[in-house]
Amino acid sequence: MTIRASKLWLRYGLAMAWFFVLLWPLLGIKPEGLEFAVSFAIWIKVAVAAAILLALYQLNKAGAFGFLTRPAAAAGRVAVGAAARVPRWLVLSVVLAAAVSFPFFTERYAHDVAISVLVYIILGLGLNIVVGLAGLLDLGYIAFFGVGAYTYALLSVHFGVSFWLCLPISACFAAVAGCIIGYPTLRMRGDYLAIVTLGFGEIVRIVLNNWMSVTNGPNGILGIKSPGAYWWQGDTLEHIWLNNLEQLYFIILALAVFTVIAVYRLNHSRIGRAFEAVREDQTAAELMGVNTLGIKLLAYALGAVFGGLAGTFFAARMQFVSPESFTFIESAMVLSMVVLGGMGSIPGVILGAVVLIVLPELFRGFQLYRMFVFGGVMAMMMVFRPKGLWPAKRLGQRSEERG
Amino acid sequence: MAGGLRPQKARTPVEFFLQQLVNGVTLGGVYALVALGYTMVYGIIQLINFAHGEIYASGGYMGVILISWLFAHGFPPMVCLGAALILAMGYCALLAMALEKVAYKPLRQSSRLSVLLSALGMSIFLQNGLMLTQGVYDRAYPTEMVQGGFHVHGVIVSYMQCIIVGLTVLLLVLLNLLVYRTRIGKAMRATAQDKTMSALVGINSSRIISVTFAIGAGLAAAAGIMVGLYYGSVRYDMGFVPGIKAFSAAVLGGIGNITGAMLGGLLIGVIEVFAAGYISSEYKDVFAFIILIAVLYFMPTGIMGENVDDTRI
Amino acid sequence: MKRALSLLAVLMLALALTACGGKKDENKAGAADGIKIGSLGPLTGQYAADGNDMKNGVLAAIEVMGPEMGKLGPVTIQSEDDACDPRQAVAAANKLINEKVTAVIGAYCSSATIPASEPLMAAKIFMITPASTTEKVTERGMPYMYRTCGRDDDQSKAAVKFMTDQLKAKTLYIVDDKTTYSQGLADNVEKLGAGANLKVLGHEHVNQGDKDYSAVLTKVKAANPDVFYVSLQNSASAAPMLIQIARMGIKAKLLAQDAVYHPQLIALAKQAAEGVYLTFGYTDKTTPAYQKFLAAYKKYGEPGAYSAYSFDSTVAYLKAVKAAGSTDPDKVRAEMAKLDFDGASKHIKYKENGDSGSNYVIQVVKDGKFTNYWNPETGELFK
Repeated sequence: MTIRASKLWLRYGLAMAWFFVLLWPLLGIKPEGLEFAVSFAIWIKVAVAAAILLALYQLNKAGAFGFLTRPAAAAGRVAVGAAARVPRWLVLSVVLAAAVSFPFFTERYAHDVAISVLVYIILGLGLNIVVGLAGLLDLGYIAFFGVGAYTYALLSVHFGVSFWLCLPISACFAAVAGCIIGYPTLRMRGDYLAIVTLGFGEIVRIVLNNWMSVTNGPNGILGIKSPGAYWWQGDTLEHIWLNNLEQLYFIILALAVFTVIAVYRLNHSRIGRAFEAVREDQTAAELMGVNTLGIKLLAYALGAVFGGLAGTFFAARMQFVSPESFTFIESAMVLSMVVLGGMGSIPGVILGAVVLIVLPELFRGFQLYRMFVFGGVMAMMMVFRPKGLWPAKRLGQRSEERG
Repeated sequence: MAGGLRPQKARTPVEFFLQQLVNGVTLGGVYALVALGYTMVYGIIQLINFAHGEIYASGGYMGVILISWLFAHGFPPMVCLGAALILAMGYCALLAMALEKVAYKPLRQSSRLSVLLSALGMSIFLQNGLMLTQGVYDRAYPTEMVQGGFHVHGVIVSYMQCIIVGLTVLLLVLLNLLVYRTRIGKAMRATAQDKTMSALVGINSSRIISVTFAIGAGLAAAAGIMVGLYYGSVRYDMGFVPGIKAFSAAVLGGIGNITGAMLGGLLIGVIEVFAAGYISSEYKDVFAFIILIAVLYFMPTGIMGENVDDTRI
Repeated sequence: MKRALSLLAVLMLALALTACGGKKDENKAGAADGIKIGSLGPLTGQYAADGNDMKNGVLAAIEVMGPEMGKLGPVTIQSEDDACDPRQAVAAANKLINEKVTAVIGAYCSSATIPASEPLMAAKIFMITPASTTEKVTERGMPYMYRTCGRDDDQSKAAVKFMTDQLKAKTLYIVDDKTTYSQGLADNVEKLGAGANLKVLGHEHVNQGDKDYSAVLTKVKAANPDVFYVSLQNSASAAPMLIQIARMGIKAKLLAQDAVYHPQLIALAKQAAEGVYLTFGYTDKTTPAYQKFLAAYKKYGEPGAYSAYSFDSTVAYLKAVKAAGSTDPDKVRAEMAKLDFDGASKHIKYKENGDSGSNYVIQVVKDGKFTNYWNPETGELFK
């Protein structure tokens, strides 16, 4: 064993001792007396698991798995090389085909999860404009989702406005809300911005929860219509409600594709570059003639538009909205998708949304341990992939990143 | 039965005001203690430590575990309280240091949002860890330990409120002494100002960061125990709401500034209670946030905050 | 970008393939004989305690009824967490549909029950809620929706009757914590109270998750009402409220409702809980049915507010299945209508809309125990 290795094991011992000190008081101290068996049983499991992982890590470092990793790495390089030669239109169409055919060989539950994933993809991409592109930390993004959902809910229940007409209306409302929230925050930077957006998010939720005469408070709004469409029933064109999961899946898929295209175009437009300029250095951007205040407002408004679209669909899909869906923790989840996937990267955000929605569903088997495992996995993913699962490629480098 | 319906002397507006002030200061004291942890950690590594609320909850749980054990072994109440307070503070300090080593230290060089997310993950992890080890039911504090109170001109002040305010003041004084009068405090301030420069003059910034986490966690643990005693119970998700409030308090005061955090905590507590008492209890948080936003609009760095550099996320 | 996209494509294909694989497994599981009952409730989050009580009630019922099911058995449970969040409730309901359950016992929050019921009804799966008391739950004309607990409108009637007839109160102060349930009840009491010559001095709302009620309680103290109606979502928020009421020295009579019923309330609030009245579905704890439930439930601890209802819901469904001889939804529905038996919580007989009637009485906390106090039907005290 080298010196480094023994030091590693020393630290392992220290860490495990520390872990025991933290674990035992929670499980062992009872008014009846002290007890060690339970905490020791858990501790020994964790310690053995950690020891095995550490040993594997060391063996890997020493090259013991060379016979496995080397061919794998080579195969990976070949695969990547081959993938790079595949034309982009082909890849895109395969992805799209997979997405379109998804409902045909899966069941209800998968549809439901897929719809959730797509809703959150739209939300993630919307927030990505604010956080990833313009670099403004927003902890209250879910408010726009709420504005969109309630706009459609109220218009549908009281005035019978159709879903399709409501999509642009909700988007406008959300954009206005975005400007209202954006305006006071223009002068603030960094974390002050975070708390103000958090505050606005909470204000929206509390108002939704308390404004009984309009939002029906905590009871929520029932009886929201599904999207409608005209379709041939036999040989006559009839109006039908698209309310089964497959039809809803296609609607949200279309919305998600629209969002991806819109955000992609935005990324590569003049405005997109202005966003990035503001993110990288606001003062320099202003010097270069970027209207930073206007650009920041635009970022909020554009981000909010997609939140509003997603919200409209959410209301139509659940046929029920209540303020409980728009809590701070939801904002945090959307932000997590953006950061976990890789800020500013479209495929990254998509991947982040898939991971963060699918993981808790996969962990349903753990029952009570579900969120416990989820929280741990989330932190570990950040520790091992701090730039996100799929970081965006940046144009150029900052001076402090070089060398 | 008739006794219950006995007419009471109507209270004057002044008494009502003073009573609400007492309520507000008590609540504010708790927020201030939790806010200090946020502000200290922020000051030194510019991280919003979302898991701080969970450390406060762990402190509350440690308190109930230790107090009931000590109580069952026949120690006098004040000894129980003191010993539990010190041990729980120590426990939370260890917990926060472990947290920092596992989830934050490897990300020291990464973007600040990555650390934020790691903190969020740890917050979910710790909260559910508490639920798994301590159960989903609330744990009862032996409230009978500190009971009663006194009247001053029709205003009720309970002994527990006195303890909360007294202990808050004591801890704040100690903290100020630590930060402004000791070598380690000097090192903390140096590290907060410039990590590279302080490392150059021989300060072990990694250790200083650990110590900062430990102190913040100790204060949160104290707050957790006092809240448990005051409201009679603790539960695994109790850290979330005060966590957000305390974070707002820290920002209101000017994040990174210790005096600011105390002031912000007191302000948020008092605003909340007065908004509930005079305007509307369901919109009290709205008022707290509106005042926060208004203050930040006119003073973009909080009440006591210095002008920070253009901080990128 | 190209690399990224191809990776995405591979991932999606993999996802689709695993979904296919999962589908096959599910089919196999579904083909197995037996009755699968879903349990839906908040196992995590703020109301985790009540969700676990409900799940334990279902488990206890399966233990009791399982051996009686003969060749229809075995009875298994699939329990899902909705965290009282509408989105998660719908996802969990769809999961349960996939798992081929034939009945769902749940959910807890009305705001989770209502959206979750939509896909369940479409799939002809029974939903029997042991806890959602909002009127709307059963008033949407859903054929497979049942409710074993009482209804908010009946509960508020009992509460107001108690205040006027027994407590002879003239003035009333109301606090609720802004949930569908607690606010619904509080609004009903306010409306009914105004009609019964009860002067409502104030109606305040607190937020869920708050622990500090001092500001509101100071107002209550200043108003000095005869009765203080405390409408909260669960025992965990009620306990600190009671402690602070005692500390403030509020002399009004306290009346709470069924969600507050839990052994935890007394364990947490201790002395402060003494003398609190609450409206609660009448349960005769001396009946053999209740004793049987208690014996089966023993290993999960003391029953909570909805444990017995959840037990009865499960028993009712299994009895109907046994009578129908299959899990065919329409046959079982016909049998559900015929059910007429003594459950642990009360006499179970479902009406046409799925309600099982309410039988609220007033209980009081006396010497650290919930005891029956007053019967609104007869207007007399229990002995």
